[in-house]
Amino acid sequence: MSCHWRRNRPPKPALSLSCLLLFPLMTIAQSSGHLPDPPQPPPVVSSSLAAGASLDLPDAPLPAAQNTAPPSQNQIQSPPPSGQQPPQQSAEPSLGDLGFSPTQTQANAQLQARLNKRTHMLKLHQTLGLITLAPMAATVIVAGGAKAKRVRNADGTVTNAVIPPSDANADFHAALGSLTATMYGITAYYAIAAPKIKGVKPKGAIRLHRDLLWIHLPGMVLTPILGGMALSQEENGQKVHGIASAHGAVAWTTVTAYAASAVAVSWPIHLKF
Amino acid sequence: MKFAVVLALAAFSLSAARAQTTQWVLEQSTLTWHIMHPMHDVDGVSHAAKGKGVCSAGFCDFLIAVPVNTFNSGDSNRDLHTIQTVRGAEFPMVIVRTRIPELETSAPSIDADLVVQFAGQTAHYSHVPFHRIQKGNEVEITGTVPATCSDFKIERPSFLTVPIHNEIPVTVDATWKQQ
Repeated sequence: MSCHWRRNRPPKPALSLSCLLLFPLMTIAQSSGHLPDPPQPPPVVSSSLAAGASLDLPDAPLPAAQNTAPPSQNQIQSPPPSGQQPPQQSAEPSLGDLGFSPTQTQANAQLQARLNKRTHMLKLHQTLGLITLAPMAATVIVAGGAKAKRVRNADGTVTNAVIPPSDANADFHAALGSLTATMYGITAYYAIAAPKIKGVKPKGAIRLHRDLLWIHLPGMVLTPILGGMALSQEENGQKVHGIASAHGAVAWTTVTAYAASAVAVSWPIHLKF
Repeated sequence: MKFAVVLALAAFSLSAARAQTTQWVLEQSTLTWHIMHPMHDVDGVSHAAKGKGVCSAGFCDFLIAVPVNTFNSGDSNRDLHTIQTVRGAEFPMVIVRTRIPELETSAPSIDADLVVQFAGQTAHYSHVPFHRIQKGNEVEITGTVPATCSDFKIERPSFLTVPIHNEIPVTVDATWKQQ
């Protein structure tokens, strides 16, 4: 501009030289986009580095209902270094410069909904699973009263004759066992029905939690069946025999596997109070 | 005449300085969030961050971004729950911006003001100290961002009805290369 204006004036070698020097430099600068065409007014909000930066945040995928938290205790209040004004925002890198794929950067509301549902159902699974431990433990505790007793002689020796358990004890044990099995089933439902996330392979503590299913699930099916068989034999005045005699062992294995499963999902535990 | 030459040289210097930009690229990084609970201390690690820095006119603008779903705590169930809690499917990226004077890029310690976008919220962290180590033609930056759940309105997950601590510090170990 100044070079054209100077053309109509008497030639001055020094100014001509400066024009010659400046012209190509200005051309280079404009081509690389670092000098704005019209002179820009100084930025109004420039007292804070972060405030300046936050005005031109990258093109992150944001849903319409995005909230922007008001700067709280972390608000930057420091002014820029004295005598230095932040430069224009045009040179700032953007998210698109980094080379992420669109699938990585795009919002996925459906996936979020699945994750929300999954978490909701697994929280119910966790809560019900822990509650189920109570009737399970109670069933085991009252099991002794539901067992037939051997008749002892006066000298303390054991005979082959058995005294069947009282109906009340047996019924109480059976009722607690039924409650446990029912709650176990509901607990399992929430884990099985929780949405699966494609491409995620079980890893870490959750694998042991899942693998223990293959012990406590058959145990939860077998235990009441064997218990029913054992009770039937006792009521007939027989000593519990055959596969029914495994009722107690299967029940304990089931309880142990179930408790281990509950601990495994939160392993490792580091108590720190 | 002398005045004109000085003027020309000054203009030349100014133009050259304005035209000159340097760029930094994030070569490799390790970002680690840390959560604390009376029964657990858990770290989640990501090496998937990408970043770029552009220095111009005495200032450097840095942008670092990392997908939320790349953090690995060693337990897939916990990682999915983390993504759900921080709404990582709706807001899949953690984006950090900072602007520092160009002179600070060669200082042994950097005092950075960070703007962090995460979980649909934006938080500002002022004067976050980072250490700088020159390694050949690369620069390693280490530091910790003092993030909290409340900064991003994240509902704290609980275990056995006890929520995790509010603090979720994120340690940064990033190696930058100047281009």
